Amino acid sequence: MKYLPLIWSGISRNPGRTLLIFFQIAIAFALFGVLQGMKTGVDEAIAQTRADLLLVFPEFFGGAPLPIAYLDRLQSMAGVKTVTFADGLLGTYQKPDQSVYVLAIAPGDIWLTLVPEIFKVLPRDLEALRKTRTGVLMSEDIAKKYGWRIGDRIPLTSTTLQSNGAGNWIFEIVGTFTAHEPGSGGYIVMNYAYLDEARVKNRGTVRNFYVVASDPRQASAVAEAIDRTFVNSSTETKTASLRESAQQQMQAIGDLNFVIRLIVTAVLVAVLFSTSTMMMQTIRERTPELAVLKTLGFTDRAVFLLVVAEATTVCIAAALIGLAFAMVVFPYAAKFVPGLSMPIVVVEAGVVGAFLVALISAALPASRAARLEVVDALAGR
Amino acid sequence: MASVLSFKNVSKHYTRGKENVAVLDHFNLEIAEGDFVAIMGPSGSGKTTLLNLIGGLDRPSTGELTVAGERLDQLSGSGLSRWRARHVGFIFQFYNLMPTLSAERNVELPLLLTSLSAGERKRKVAAALELVGLSDRGKHKPGEMSGGQQQRVAIARALIADPTILICDEPTGDLDRHTAEEILGLLQMLNRQYGKSIILVTHDPKAAGYASRQLHVDKGQLLDAPMAAA
Repeated sequence: MKYLPLIWSGISRNPGRTLLIFFQIAIAFALFGVLQGMKTGVDEAIAQTRADLLLVFPEFFGGAPLPIAYLDRLQSMAGVKTVTFADGLLGTYQKPDQSVYVLAIAPGDIWLTLVPEIFKVLPRDLEALRKTRTGVLMSEDIAKKYGWRIGDRIPLTSTTLQSNGAGNWIFEIVGTFTAHEPGSGGYIVMNYAYLDEARVKNRGTVRNFYVVASDPRQASAVAEAIDRTFVNSSTETKTASLRESAQQQMQAIGDLNFVIRLIVTAVLVAVLFSTSTMMMQTIRERTPELAVLKTLGFTDRAVFLLVVAEATTVCIAAALIGLAFAMVVFPYAAKFVPGLSMPIVVVEAGVVGAFLVALISAALPASRAARLEVVDALAGR
Repeated sequence: MASVLSFKNVSKHYTRGKENVAVLDHFNLEIAEGDFVAIMGPSGSGKTTLLNLIGGLDRPSTGELTVAGERLDQLSGSGLSRWRARHVGFIFQFYNLMPTLSAERNVELPLLLTSLSAGERKRKVAAALELVGLSDRGKHKPGEMSGGQQQRVAIARALIADPTILICDEPTGDLDRHTAEEILGLLQMLNRQYGKSIILVTHDPKAAGYASRQLHVDKGQLLDAPMAAA
């Protein structure tokens, strides 16, 4: 602590230059934080998805929906613990540009634990939905958006027509649910029975099934078994675990990991060079001062550590500012990719990275300062 | 009186390209403890080399050099650093203060190498600044002071660790006559009242007059008697 004024005197020797480097490092680590946070957040989000939950969709996207009759066959298959399903309709509320997606489910208790990381509902709300055929559950987001309250009756207009030819659907709000990521709860949840009884087309079908495997390690085998079972049926299936689906979605973007690593490496190498250049310039300008420190009795090692301490202070302080900025900005970036978060391990990695950048960039200038010949330096040679 | 400094057949050579230049040649000198010695000589006479050797900033090529009871020719680089911290206070022509540190922090620098507590360091700094008459300027930076005040801060810094010997390299070279006399008077006081051993290098005969003994060096040789007068 007693050396802090001396370290600070070196840092503040040229405030303009120090500030430039500070901002450069801060921006670099803000970028590091956001990019690395995206990568780590995606990896963690995928790792946290259930390995035992299988999604059963029609083999061909946009093709015929799945018959609800598959439910019993799925339930009876080996390795299957429980099955449910979902369907939906897309409507508009009051204006054509105010879209509302309505997810239709059979409100059994399975929904209490099926995908809590995406959709969380309390038993009393699920019970309320069960009791009211035209009931719906809403999220906080959509409630705020349209000013809805429990007890409201809301009319939606949809291209999913009812058997009377009308596209108007009237719902009663009976409860709420929590969407895991705020901003992604722009939908409501209805009773599948109401949808299927009232609609004129696609009766007795569902959009997809959710199958919970008894053993997560056997999930792949169960998925293959499901697809084999329906391979010659009217609507073939394509089954994948929730985790696999998440991984496939990420792979569709491209090799995100490689791109992120490339960008982060390039940024850190640039920071390394500029910090090293700054330190070299600083040492050159402070040659007489460093020589005086040596005359006072500071050893070569002490001078070396002083220079390293200056670089480390600037790098770590700037990195912390950059990472803090990334943590503030990240929730906004994560709105574009729901489910992302910036885990604390990214901050820890950033601090370690800043320390390494400081050490590497200061190594050469610090060595030069340590080897400074006092006699020559004082003589101005 | 005990000897604070002893040169015995000390030679110092520098290599300049292919040429081997002898700056000091079989130099002999003894200075008693508590002495105030002025070393004079033309440019290139070896005065600065003498100072560097006495201050442990350089090592002799041959010979024995003993300062403050230590054989400097036998110490390692880090050993010399530690020795300097304990035994030597430097005062330079151009002060060589840290421009971004206050006077107090500049004076405190040598004490950072000790195990004194923050409170003890603060007390010593205050005492040193009071001794040089700058108690009210402790918070000011060198850029906010006159040359004479900066040199006083440099003197306070040189004294604070209670060194055995003060080494002054043209301490008044950058000062006007009046201020130079104040500084030299201060050095004389430190020698007479506090018994500090002082080696002063100067071109100025008037400055040399403040010392109790004057030595003349030319072409690496001492032109006076090597032993201190009884």
